[in-house]
Amino acid sequence: MLVEWMMNGHAILYTGVTLAFWATILIVGICYTIFDLGFRFDVAWFLTETSPFMWANLGIGLAISLSVVGAAWGIYVTGSSIIGGGVKAPRIKTKNLVSIIFCEAVAIYGIIMAIVISNLAENFTGTTPETIGEKNYQAGYSMFGAGLTVGFSNLFCGICVGIVGSGAALADAQNASLFVKILIVEIFGSAIGLFGVIVAILQASRLGDIAKKNFNDIMFHIVRYR
Amino acid sequence: MTEVGMRRSSLSTMAFTSVLLFICSTYSCYAQAPLLMWTSEGSNMPHLAQPTAGQTVSGGQLASYLKSALSIAPHSMLLFLQDQLSMEDFTMYGGVFGNKQDSAFLNVESALQTSSNPLVLPALDWSASHSILELLQGELGIPAVQIDPSTLKEIKLNTAQPSLLAVHLPYTAGDQTKELLLKNDAIMGEVLDMFKSLDVPYTAVYTGLKPSRVIEDTPVMAGHSVGRSLLQAPPESPVKPPLVVNNTAGQPCILLWADTLLASYSGNQVDLARDIFNGSADVTAGSVCNETLSRLVLNYRNVLNFRSLRLIFSMRKIFFPVSARDWSVMEQVVLEYDGQRAIFNASGGIYSPAEYSFHCQSVSSAQSPLLVPRSATDNATMWTLSFTDFQIQGFSVTGEDFSYASDCAGFFTPGIWMGLLTSLLMVFILTYGLHMIMQVRTMDRFDDPKGPAISVPQSE
Repeated sequence: MLVEWMMNGHAILYTGVTLAFWATILIVGICYTIFDLGFRFDVAWFLTETSPFMWANLGIGLAISLSVVGAAWGIYVTGSSIIGGGVKAPRIKTKNLVSIIFCEAVAIYGIIMAIVISNLAENFTGTTPETIGEKNYQAGYSMFGAGLTVGFSNLFCGICVGIVGSGAALADAQNASLFVKILIVEIFGSAIGLFGVIVAILQASRLGDIAKKNFNDIMFHIVRYR
Repeated sequence: MTEVGMRRSSLSTMAFTSVLLFICSTYSCYAQAPLLMWTSEGSNMPHLAQPTAGQTVSGGQLASYLKSALSIAPHSMLLFLQDQLSMEDFTMYGGVFGNKQDSAFLNVESALQTSSNPLVLPALDWSASHSILELLQGELGIPAVQIDPSTLKEIKLNTAQPSLLAVHLPYTAGDQTKELLLKNDAIMGEVLDMFKSLDVPYTAVYTGLKPSRVIEDTPVMAGHSVGRSLLQAPPESPVKPPLVVNNTAGQPCILLWADTLLASYSGNQVDLARDIFNGSADVTAGSVCNETLSRLVLNYRNVLNFRSLRLIFSMRKIFFPVSARDWSVMEQVVLEYDGQRAIFNASGGIYSPAEYSFHCQSVSSAQSPLLVPRSATDNATMWTLSFTDFQIQGFSVTGEDFSYASDCAGFFTPGIWMGLLTSLLMVFILTYGLHMIMQVRTMDRFDDPKGPAISVPQSE
């Protein structure tokens, strides 16, 4: 069975890529160690030299895209079950759309958070780590964290709701009284997406006053150098 | 007849000789004439070592050649002395480009070919060829007899005794050179045939009194070479050694090197690196170094309209516990000018492990600044510093060479890292998506191709 699994082209590709990646890491690490250049491996340099804008925008992008992936996955699973079950029991069609709506809600959480976070992104003045200042780094990382939080929560929430909804549809096709009970499970599944949204809002809320400070800085620069 | 001819050409000869002497005294001269020596068919000539390519045979070497040749070769010498002869004549008129029929040296060639072990000296120093007659007279011990082709038939040779016959061949450079050489060749052929008919073994020498072409070597001026050379061109300025500051014990403790140290103040700019690398100790007066602090002070007078200017680099050795090693951090770069101070903070970018030196191609307060004014109101805001190819070592100095240089530029720039991060993330997402899509399979567990088709009820 391992041989059959290996025969799969995907597996060979993934194994190859993984091997190449880890080999590169290993060889680079060995070279750094041998030549006493370990001091050049500087995580702080990486975190302070990369632009906070990159982190903020990665957060915004991941917020919406991961949420949409979750929603899509869920709808795909639920949808195919509803359609399949609906062939033999057409009465389930209308009732089971609520599962689809639960999945869709996850995508809506994602886009709302993306808009909220992107509204908090401001320009800042400063080119070196000292002049950029801690507040702006905090802003960048907070936005990244918020986006990741809401994105991953919604991703798994969407998958969860989808699989449960698929089960609900098929059970409903067999026995109409089962649907309401399974809907409760779905509601619990949907709540976890909401938790992600709440935490992301908490992370992003700190940025309000940073945005105000940046606004003041920019105005000061404009007035001074005019 | 010969004397008249000699007198007529004596003036031009002297002129040529004096010019040649003058040229060859001021420049190095490649004034050489070739010499061919062969024996008649059937006579032996010892196998003499040909000179190496490019070697100019001197008079002494020629004498030794003649001595060893005449030990075996017949002592009846024929000297064909042309006014001027160079290798270029053979090249130009010798039919060497496949046109053998145009050659002006056919008799000479055939004589060389029939001889055994002919001696060919392509480059004989012109002073030796000039005095070949005297040389041969000295070797054989008898005076030379000048002969003309017309008087040839009256010669009676006593083969028992050595004899030296000199045939003078004219030469003029110009249009008639080819005809002249053909004529000379004919004369030589006549003489050689005559000797062959008389059945007299002989040794023949063909050379020129002077070279017909002198290649003047252009004087090599220091630092410049005319024409192309495969060798690397010498650098315009020699590489300067680093500036060394000794501590109280006389050991070097600070090293500095920079291509330029540009300092600009209100529109004027000065290169502070210009004269400080010549090893004078006054430049670095005031420099201090001890275990944890190194301060390099560069003193200048009368630059940028200031009476005195001091450029101070102060470095400190600090132990950072996270990396658990000593770091040499340049805290400040200070300019003291006429009682005022301009202070730049440099700790943000100028640092290296204490065992290594710091090198940066561009240390500047303007572009991607490593030097920032200490505050917005400091005098440093009126200055602009720009150091190129800057290398400094404040600690762990042993000797006058820098340690390994920790460069300010890493392998990947921040931009490269950001690009790599986002593109790798997107590639991963793409891979994951592709993997999922390629795994989508239609449910075929309940497929029964032979069973009844699925029936859909019409009503709800």
